[in-house]
Amino acid sequence: MYKSFLQNFNSKVRLTEEEEAFIKNYLTPKKLRKKQYLLQETDICKFIAFVEKGALRAYSVDENGKEHIIQFALEGWTISDLYSFLTSEPATYNIDALEDSELVLISKAAHEELLQKLPKYETYFRIQITGAYIAMQKRLTSIISSPLEERYKNLTALYPTIVERVPQHMIASYMGLQPETLSRIRRKIAAKK
Amino acid sequence: MKTKQTIAVIGATGNMGSAISRSIATGNYRLLLIGGKPEEAKALAKQIRKENESADVEGIECSVEATWEADIIIAAVPYEAEKAVAEKIREKANQKIVVSISNPLNSTYDGLVTSPDISAAEELQKLLPNSKVVKAFNTTFAADFSTPVIEGKQVDAFIAGNDEEALKTVSELVGTAGFSPLIAGDLQVSRTLENMQLLLIQLGIKYNYNWLAGWKILHN
Repeated sequence: MYKSFLQNFNSKVRLTEEEEAFIKNYLTPKKLRKKQYLLQETDICKFIAFVEKGALRAYSVDENGKEHIIQFALEGWTISDLYSFLTSEPATYNIDALEDSELVLISKAAHEELLQKLPKYETYFRIQITGAYIAMQKRLTSIISSPLEERYKNLTALYPTIVERVPQHMIASYMGLQPETLSRIRRKIAAKK
Repeated sequence: MKTKQTIAVIGATGNMGSAISRSIATGNYRLLLIGGKPEEAKALAKQIRKENESADVEGIECSVEATWEADIIIAAVPYEAEKAVAEKIREKANQKIVVSISNPLNSTYDGLVTSPDISAAEELQKLLPNSKVVKAFNTTFAADFSTPVIEGKQVDAFIAGNDEEALKTVSELVGTAGFSPLIAGDLQVSRTLENMQLLLIQLGIKYNYNWLAGWKILHN
C-alpha cells in the first residue's frame, strides 16, 4: 500500500525512510468500486486523491443534464476538485470511478498539517500544482486552437491506455465533440497510417 | 452531504450491531456488514433490504476489505474483542473515523474492568493512533434503536472525540439512527459515558426497565 504514491513523491522530492513513515500517518487508503462516487457536486471537496490502481473521471453536468468530462485520472495521476478543495466552496465537479480503483487520499486537514510539518511536502505540492497548471494551459490552448486530429493525438499521448479503458462517448465528452465526430477523426487517423 | 459515505459495521450480526445497521440504513449511507459468520451478515443485509427498499447494504466477508472501502468504521463488538479488531483493521483504518460503542463491563455487571484513569475508547485510540476514534451509541440499549422515543422524549445519545469534523459526521449518523445527538466533549469524556451506561444497566436490573431505557438531559 502507498507504493506508487511514494514512488511518485520520491521521483519529485526524495524522502528519507523516516519521512516516508511520517507521511504515511497522514494518508487515507480508499478502495472505490466501479461507478461509485468519490465526490458529488455541491459537497465541499475535502481531499486530493492519488490513483494507485484503476481509473476515475471528473465531470461537470450542464443545465440540460449533459456530462462534460474535465479530466481522467489513471495510475499515477492525482484528481480532485481543486477549486473546492482550496477555497472550501461547494464542488462544481463530480468524481467517480470508471474501474474498481485503489486510491490514496490526502484530506484537507492532513494536507494543512503536512504543509506545516514537512517542508518537502510543500515542495511536492508546489510541483503538483505547477504540473496541473501547465496541463490545464495546454488543454485550454488545444481546445481553442488545435485541429481535431492533433487534439486526439494529444489526448492519447497524455493518457496512453485511455482508448482501451474508456468508452468512446467519454473520450468524445472530454474533447467536447459528438461521438460521431470522434469516430470520423479516428477513421481519418487510421487511414493515414 | 450528497456523496454517499461508506460505513463498515464490524460485528453487524450482534444485538447492537444489527440494531445500529437497521437504523442507519435509512440514511444516505452505503453499509458493509461484517458478522461472525459471513452467511449471517449476508442474511441480515437481505433482511434490511426487504424492510427498506432504498437501503444500500451488503454483507461482506472480510473486515479488512470492508475497512478499506469504508469512510467510517463502527466497531460493534464487545470490549474484549476490540483489540483483535484493531490489529486487523489498523492499516486500512488510517485517518478514518472509528466508532467505539463498547462498555467494558465486568461479568457481574457491577463494575468496569478498565481502570478509572482510562476508557475503552481511549484504549482503542491507542491501538489505532492514526484513526479518529469517536465514542457513540454506548449509552443506548439495542432496543432503544427501534424505540428511540420513550415516554414522549427522544433519547439523548452522547458522543465524545477529539476531532471536530469526525464529531460532526458521527452526530449526523446518530441523528439518522433516531436519537438526539449530544456532543459531550473530547475522548476522555468516554470515561464518564461508559460509567453512565454502567449505572443505567444497574438501575435497569434493580427496577426492571426490561432493557428499554435511556438518558435525557433536561434543561431550560
